[in-house]
Amino acid sequence: MKSKNGPIVRTKSGTFKVDLPDDHRKILTNLIEELRTSLTNSNDDAALRRLFPTAYHNDPKKDAEYQRLMRDELLESRLAAIDTAIKVLTQENEITAEEIDAFSRSINSLRLVIGTALDIAESDYEKQNNSQHDGESNEDSSDGASDDDDGQSVQKELYEYLGWLLEWTVSAQSSGL
Amino acid sequence: MNVFIKASVQPAQVQEPSLDDETKSERPWIVIVWNDPINLMSYVTFVFQKLFGYSLEKATELMLDVHNKGRAVVASGSRERAEFDVYRLHEHGLWATMEHESL
Repeated sequence: MKSKNGPIVRTKSGTFKVDLPDDHRKILTNLIEELRTSLTNSNDDAALRRLFPTAYHNDPKKDAEYQRLMRDELLESRLAAIDTAIKVLTQENEITAEEIDAFSRSINSLRLVIGTALDIAESDYEKQNNSQHDGESNEDSSDGASDDDDGQSVQKELYEYLGWLLEWTVSAQSSGL
Repeated sequence: MNVFIKASVQPAQVQEPSLDDETKSERPWIVIVWNDPINLMSYVTFVFQKLFGYSLEKATELMLDVHNKGRAVVASGSRERAEFDVYRLHEHGLWATMEHESL
């Protein structure tokens, strides 16, 4: 059993504690570093494009103008959040509301990219949302996945783990609203 | 291992029937969030509360509209304001777009 508080807790003073084992921190750090590399290599992968959506869905001209002005800013914002998330994962101090915010956005970015790569569909959505807060079970789902393609089952596990972690992050942040 | 492979679908770009520019500019812009199968419901609700100051009830109602109806209007205002809101929603990984409010 995990502690009843979950891995992310808001303290009375409004800071946040991240209680994750070292191996989780390491895996997350590697994944986030990988995301940073992909983003900075101006990789035009379809899954990465999910992080840079259309703004004007019925006006391609205005959208091109918007993207020209805002895309780099959005990229900078994602990279800054990634830097903060790495900092959060590589130290054990309590973190600020701004830091947990950057952390949760980075976890969500990762989850979006992996989910897009997995082609997560609406039918998976209900399942995933119905099983969120008993997240303990998500971590032990590797058994019986042997019939899956290996790469996919690793991605799937990561995706579920990130959902579990994000759910706790949101719940800790919401307690401060 | 590269965990970031494969394609997905984005909201299609559809050409709107063109209206007289002046008529258009008087109408406010609306910010729409589209359903996507990846973002967590709790996360979407939280983002609506955080960015727009909505109550939990209002944010939940909007999130459910997105989920059940496929889209919801989450804000409206000037073009600049709508672009700002779209940008902040994109920063949080939500699928947001903007358009002129229908007559």
